Amino acid sequence: MSRPISCRLIGAVGGLIGLLSGCATLGDGTGSRLDLVQERGELFCGVSGKIPGFSFLSPDGRYAGLDVDLCKAMAAAFVGDSSKVQYRPLTAPERFTALRSGEIDLLSRNTTHTLSRDAAGGNGLSFAPTVFHDGQGLMVSVGSGVRSMADLSGKAICVGSGTTTEQNLNDAFAAQGLPYTPIKYQDLNQVVGGYLQGRCAAMTSDRSQLASARSGFKDPQQHVILADRLSKEPLAPAVVGGDQRMADATNWVVYALIEAEERGITQANLDDVLEQAVADPSQAALRRFLGVDGGLGAKLGLPDDFVVQVIRATGNYGEIYNRHLGPGSAVTIPRGPNRLGGEGGLMIAPPFT
Amino acid sequence: MNRWLDRWLTLMLLALLGWAGWSCLHWLWHGADWTVVVTNLPLYAVGSYPDAERWRPLLCIVAVVVLIVITLLGPRHGGWRRSLPLLWSAMAPLGIWLLAGGLGLSPVGTQSWGGFSLTLLLTAGSGLLALPLGVLLALGRRSDLPVLRGGSTAYIELMRAIPLIAVLFFGQLLIPLFLPPGVEINRVLRAVVAFALFAAAYIAEDVRGGLQAIPPTQREAAAVLGLSPWQSLQLVVLPQALRVALPSLTNQAVGLLQNTSLMAILGLVELLGISRSLLANPAFIGRYLEVYIWLAAVYWLACTAMALLARHLEIQLDPVRSAR
Repeated sequence: MSRPISCRLIGAVGGLIGLLSGCATLGDGTGSRLDLVQERGELFCGVSGKIPGFSFLSPDGRYAGLDVDLCKAMAAAFVGDSSKVQYRPLTAPERFTALRSGEIDLLSRNTTHTLSRDAAGGNGLSFAPTVFHDGQGLMVSVGSGVRSMADLSGKAICVGSGTTTEQNLNDAFAAQGLPYTPIKYQDLNQVVGGYLQGRCAAMTSDRSQLASARSGFKDPQQHVILADRLSKEPLAPAVVGGDQRMADATNWVVYALIEAEERGITQANLDDVLEQAVADPSQAALRRFLGVDGGLGAKLGLPDDFVVQVIRATGNYGEIYNRHLGPGSAVTIPRGPNRLGGEGGLMIAPPFT
Repeated sequence: MNRWLDRWLTLMLLALLGWAGWSCLHWLWHGADWTVVVTNLPLYAVGSYPDAERWRPLLCIVAVVVLIVITLLGPRHGGWRRSLPLLWSAMAPLGIWLLAGGLGLSPVGTQSWGGFSLTLLLTAGSGLLALPLGVLLALGRRSDLPVLRGGSTAYIELMRAIPLIAVLFFGQLLIPLFLPPGVEINRVLRAVVAFALFAAAYIAEDVRGGLQAIPPTQREAAAVLGLSPWQSLQLVVLPQALRVALPSLTNQAVGLLQNTSLMAILGLVELLGISRSLLANPAFIGRYLEVYIWLAAVYWLACTAMALLARHLEIQLDPVRSAR
């Protein structure tokens, strides 16, 4: 009497194990995410939707910003049409889950590249090259006479509590042996409020957030972000780990944006440059870059002219930056480390050969 | 002496109130910059729904508003009145069809849903799921079968002991982790189900309150008349119990509508979520006060409409008044 029951039990457990192992291997068996995107003809891109200059809703109901332009560039390269993107607004805690569960193909959401997010033992993501070098900064009013971190010795500083921001502030001031009084708030808006009410001589947050907060002030010119950098926050797009084709394609689209700026190829002069490259066989490097010959795109699983598609859709890296964060935009952040390598910045692209 | 103090205090308080009211009005008319609301009205209504299809969620909202107006202000008698329950029950499937597409309309994915239409859908969808579930749970809790009674009681007590935000986090963040890669359950559907499961526990207790208000003699009388237990429940007990429970059910419905705003911190762009996205637009930075006052007005209107509808329903169902 007991035998059939135990048999059934063993059968059930075996079936469950089979099912689970089937689930575990499902990810490896389906091939690259890139194929899926190209087959679908549309890119699912995870953005924040709530960060001025990076991703926000414009009144016509479309998303805009630097993170959003990167989604467009990827879509232009992968499926040849920058409008074929579905944006998923994601919160910080759900962003990695959305990537892992396959709800999105690409995460372009102001995400700092760190070891534990990259490593297989951590979140196991695969990061593309950094598209914005952010870092914690300090903002003071011009009238206060503060010019550097050392001038803030003994003063009060407004900071969001329980964040890495608070810890970085502490580390940086302790390392230089400077005393200060932290005034802690729950979130960034309250920090801004405290700073504007004059409760502290300076406020601290990521420099991009300082700049966007400042653009909402009544007198933005009266406030200045100090050159001191309390932390490094390299923000980069990410794809799911262990998918080399998808990772390579994403990496080289970012590199193409940077290389195009190095070569001075813009949305406006793209057609002229392309014509030149086609007509002049001696421009070997340019011809390879624009896919006239060399077949570089095919190696990535992309069309050979993917660089042309990308630049036509969004322009080069400098154009994207200036559109959303440049001097003419509403959220102005000086380019600083986001300048090209040749101009003293950190943005470089390996050779397209 | 005391009288003079009273008069003085009254005058001072009146002056203070007048001053506060006047400065609020002054700010509303002159200080506030309402462009953030005016230019984004379509977004508040329908979110980032595709331009060409925007008429669909708009039609949905207009239909609901028209139905509310007819119900509240329309003629008291006649054919109109009799077809209203039918129209209301047709509204939910019609709304989902209009939003999602299919059957002749081009399909639109849930990631494009947003604004007030999404708030409405979340409220209506979860309410419609939660009500039958809640009634079943209430009946289960009063059942004579120990397993059914124990299960229902355990479910209700468990759900009531968990904060709503934890249930929503579970639905939005943890469920996708349990699913194998590549399998995806729609985010809006996950939200609706999480809300429904949570609200059902509360609705069950409201309905149980209604059931307990019905004297056992009713059931006994029904049995004497030859009604089966099922018939007695369906024809005698439940209609009376639900009528008793109606005020607290309205409470739940209003609470449900306001709770949908929690989805803003979980990445859905319903009314509050879309406002937060718009506030990130560099053109509207710092316009918090205008946006949140506008939101308060919209939520107040929606909740008032629900409360009025419920009052109307109570009057309709009142056997004494409707007999007149």
